[in-house]
Amino acid sequence: MREFKKSTRTSFAEAILEVGSENKDVVTVAADSASRYGDFVKKFPERCFNVGIAEQTMIGVAAGLALCGKIPVVTSYANFLAFRAIEQVRVDIATADLNVKMVGTDTGFSSAWLGFTHLALEDVAAIRSIPNIVIIDPADATEAYLATKAMFEYKGPVYMRLRGRKDEPVLFGGDYVFRIGEGKVLKEGHDVLIISSGSAIYESLIAWEILRQKGISATVVNMATIRPLDEALLLEITSSVRSVVTVEHHNITGGLGSAVAELLAEKRPNVRLLRMGVKDTFGTAGSEEMLKAHFGLDAKAIAERVEVFLKNDCENEVS
Amino acid sequence: MNLTEDKIGAIMKAAERIRKDCIWMSTRAGTGHLGPALSIADILATLYVGVMKVDPKNPKWPDRDRLILSKGHGCLALYSILSQVGFFDRKYLGDFCTKCDTLLPGHPELKLPGVEANTGSLGHGIAIGMGMALAAKLDGKQYRVFVVTGDGELQEGSNWEAAMAAAHHKLDNLVVIVDRNRLQLGDLTENISKLEPLEEKWKSFGWRVKSINGHDIKELLSTLNDVPFSIGKPSAIIANTVKGKGLKIAENKVEWHYKVLTKEQYEGLKEELALEELGNERI
Ligand SMILES: Cc1ncc(C[n+]2csc(CCOP(=O)(O)OP(=O)(O)O)c2C)c(N)n1
Ligand SMILES: [Mg+2]
Repeated sequence: MREFKKSTRTSFAEAILEVGSENKDVVTVAADSASRYGDFVKKFPERCFNVGIAEQTMIGVAAGLALCGKIPVVTSYANFLAFRAIEQVRVDIATADLNVKMVGTDTGFSSAWLGFTHLALEDVAAIRSIPNIVIIDPADATEAYLATKAMFEYKGPVYMRLRGRKDEPVLFGGDYVFRIGEGKVLKEGHDVLIISSGSAIYESLIAWEILRQKGISATVVNMATIRPLDEALLLEITSSVRSVVTVEHHNITGGLGSAVAELLAEKRPNVRLLRMGVKDTFGTAGSEEMLKAHFGLDAKAIAERVEVFLKNDCENEVS
Repeated sequence: MNLTEDKIGAIMKAAERIRKDCIWMSTRAGTGHLGPALSIADILATLYVGVMKVDPKNPKWPDRDRLILSKGHGCLALYSILSQVGFFDRKYLGDFCTKCDTLLPGHPELKLPGVEANTGSLGHGIAIGMGMALAAKLDGKQYRVFVVTGDGELQEGSNWEAAMAAAHHKLDNLVVIVDRNRLQLGDLTENISKLEPLEEKWKSFGWRVKSINGHDIKELLSTLNDVPFSIGKPSAIIANTVKGKGLKIAENKVEWHYKVLTKEQYEGLKEELALEELGNERI
């Protein structure tokens, strides 16, 4: 792991500037906070629209722009996009299969002290309940950059999760490759398969090391695309590894853990599954570190739960 | 001194206390929406000390007046005034954004005595207030519902849906106070999505409107004690304010939307503003 730190928002803004410089159809729509688009706003003010604090209107305007051939990007706190504007997302964007890139920020625990209104722990569930939207949850700034570029190569609605302004450890170097729909094996092991995404990847990688020191060998998969899920990869790994753990900084209902559970229940009924995430409760206020510990989703808690899960042979492991 | 002068003095003292508490809490926590809180200090002090009927020892008293802070990010000011009038012990102010799962998070939640609605997502307060006002009419109760909104917040369409419906239902027990500080998160409201002519908007939605100086306690008191302005109509008060009011480096500065003093800045201002020791457990 490299020491370098950068926020996912910064690399998103860098990618938007590059993509938008090359493609004149790229436009941004903001609901008050236009700073998330970084220098693009300064360089191409004529292609940036601010509708005020009005997320539903932001999505509607993006739909109109897309219907006229533009490629709009919208950003907001994830909850105000995935919940406040969900009807517009469903009716205006998803059913119409519009080429709109929707970016929810401050996901997981990254909005920290702002409390449950801002903590985005159910956004993936909400968006995943709507057909036809690709969902990406990048693990670090490198992946956020690559995913931003990739979502413009893809034609259709995309929802991407970013986090706050804070710099985070950069996990991947310049040789990292991101493709929509591809899970990535970050560590290979044979005792247990840990599937994770977003800010939970960092914790999962540290947990991998803790487990390694205890003699437990884990495979860690970065499932940065939550939809479409990389079923082929998971079916291949679970043909030999029979214990699976999902780790997400999100509610265990409706997110990555649910997506994996749906797959395994149908195609690998003999695999044991433990879903780690926020256990069907609301977020609360705290620093990111406090919240990860509070909800048992930091590296230490992950390693402990995995160890117990592997020791405990009974099939009735409750999550 | 007459009764009103006494009252005005008490309100001014409470407003002063709000400002000091907000600065103290946010500096200790290293986070908080300080500018948005300072602009509503006088409004909240006037409401709680001079206008509203509440019983802090019985926070759920059914006949109480209700206040909804629709601009929930201004909660530092709300926490201060609720503690001052006795809804909870002032020792809890130190918990603002310092303890995990605190009762005083970055947006107000019902779990804290005196808070009437979960807010933080903008544009919810007027509709919730309308529901409370309808319940008062249904139950034949005299209580009033005050909703404090931001001005940028009014860009959310939900406010205007509720405004239209509340006028239709003749809810003269509903009062909206717009904190017209002319700034929102990223810029001036008039640079992002114009609100003016704001008075005319409320009027055309069927409300009676008054525009006042939101830092003039006398004017706040007389206006707020004059509601409803018309029988059968909801009242809107456009309170012209200064974002960050009382903290010179923050006044009218867009970046002070979500910015706090450093501990060094705090120490530097301590004498001038008669601020408390940061290390105190209780103020
Ligand atoms: C639905 C929703 N969208 C966006 C935000 C983020 N946000 C918090 S405060 C703010 C600006 C509010 O401006 P204004 O209403 O003028 O209040 P002030 O800060 O001036 O007190 C924004 C956009 C939010 N809290 N809720
Ligand atoms: Mg304002």
